[in-house]
Amino acid sequence: MPTQTAATPPRVLGLYDEPFWRHMKDDGRMHLQCCRDCGAWRYPPGPACHACLSPASDWKPVSGGGELLSWVTFHKQYLPAYPAPYNVIAVRLDEGPTLISNLIEDPEPDQRPIGRRVRLKVVAMADGVALPRFEFAD
Amino acid sequence: MKSLKRVASVIGVGHTDWVSDWHRVRAGERPDDCYGYAAGALRNALADAGIGKEQVNGLIVGPTTAYERMAEVVGLNVRWGDQADAVLSVVQACMAIESGAADVVALVYGNDQRSVGTQYGGPQAMGGDQFLSYVYHAPWGLTSQGALYALMFRRFCELHGVSERDLGHVAVAQREGSSRNPNAIQRKPISLDDYMAAPYITEPLRLFDYCLINDGGVALIIAEAGLARKLSPRAVSIEAVGRFDLNQGATSLEPRLTDFYRPAQQAVAEQIFGASGLDPSDIDVLQVYDSFSVHVPLALEGYGYCGIGESGRFMREKGIGLGGLLPTNTSGGHLSESYMQGWNHQIECVRQARGECGDRQIENCRRVHYTSDVAGKAVSIIYGA
Repeated sequence: MPTQTAATPPRVLGLYDEPFWRHMKDDGRMHLQCCRDCGAWRYPPGPACHACLSPASDWKPVSGGGELLSWVTFHKQYLPAYPAPYNVIAVRLDEGPTLISNLIEDPEPDQRPIGRRVRLKVVAMADGVALPRFEFAD
Repeated sequence: MKSLKRVASVIGVGHTDWVSDWHRVRAGERPDDCYGYAAGALRNALADAGIGKEQVNGLIVGPTTAYERMAEVVGLNVRWGDQADAVLSVVQACMAIESGAADVVALVYGNDQRSVGTQYGGPQAMGGDQFLSYVYHAPWGLTSQGALYALMFRRFCELHGVSERDLGHVAVAQREGSSRNPNAIQRKPISLDDYMAAPYITEPLRLFDYCLINDGGVALIIAEAGLARKLSPRAVSIEAVGRFDLNQGATSLEPRLTDFYRPAQQAVAEQIFGASGLDPSDIDVLQVYDSFSVHVPLALEGYGYCGIGESGRFMREKGIGLGGLLPTNTSGGHLSESYMQGWNHQIECVRQARGECGDRQIENCRRVHYTSDVAGKAVSIIYGA
């Protein structure tokens, strides 16, 4: 990924989002809401369990391992912090939720990235945001 | 939705001159605002139907205009009203007619997205207040809707053996249609080599996989089926409608990336083909909401026009152009005719069913299937001559 100089593009910071980013910065680990009643993992953060509707949840650390579902390369710049070209990936975490992120090193098509194991790596952005990204683990 | 079988018909269609407005907007003019385009389209639709606006007793306005102001601009007091996107407007009109809430419904849509510079990518991506996925991933550089479809298509390619060149058949076929459509904005034919030579925007999608952005308006007049036969000799029947939504995991793109919306499309296929007593082989023309070309192979597989994993070969060998087995987006669609967010496709469905499409008319066109899969909502309509 290119060196980041501009501010990290705006995060959506709704009523339930803050612990995700606080844990990322303070602990260097990703935490997600886990339902206290049925154990379902949740992303993005929200007020109720999508599986059982329970309002009770705990922020728990995830393993950081996952599988790469898909990837793209942007050839057009939309955001000051992301000069083209740059990659965006979709990862399915071992705990279940899917999230959008970046691979630290741009993938090549002949690497056949889809289906490969990835692991979380927290990157400090120029403006101090701790951003979860991934690298190949295999 | 079995009860909505043939309860209503389209008796009038109208649109603005988006070709001349395209040139005017590019020259720096603002020919109209959303309301002006919608009003112009309604005038044309009423004239096409041969009725006056006092005969309208239901109104649905598109998502880009405020309901009350739109109704005020066109001077319509009605006994039933609603606001919806293109395909859901047709569904809601059928429901209102079936319930007796209204029997002549005007559907009006206007959009000044080009002249006001509406952004569909970047931090102010339009629709982000409604669809969290459009803005939630901005910290990682993902905001454009094209990128969502690029992520979807990359995985689809790898799992289903479709190549980037296979996808090019969509843009090439639609440009063939638009080259024979005087109402289309982009009419110069392109080849597969032209497609492959165009730059990537979000790889694996290229320039010609993306829709136009232009100003314009569309209106439809839908009437109760029996009344429609009395009002118009050219009424086009709404044979069946169907809908299924996949919402779980929407923000993190789960239903797009794991199943490509296929379970929703398969559920809708059962509703529409079951309800009408038809199957995919009875469809003469397919119209697919195409903000991006990717929607087309997804629909081909999801609705059973070909087997799972066969859309690349289907487009390559059977064909989706005017002379192909399944002519698709014959007007040029969003990629080449006009980006009216599904509304212009309804007009093309009606005109193909009426046999009014001139050089691009599909012979003996009896049934047209329109489908959209926007943001997890798979919705389909079958129009019949």
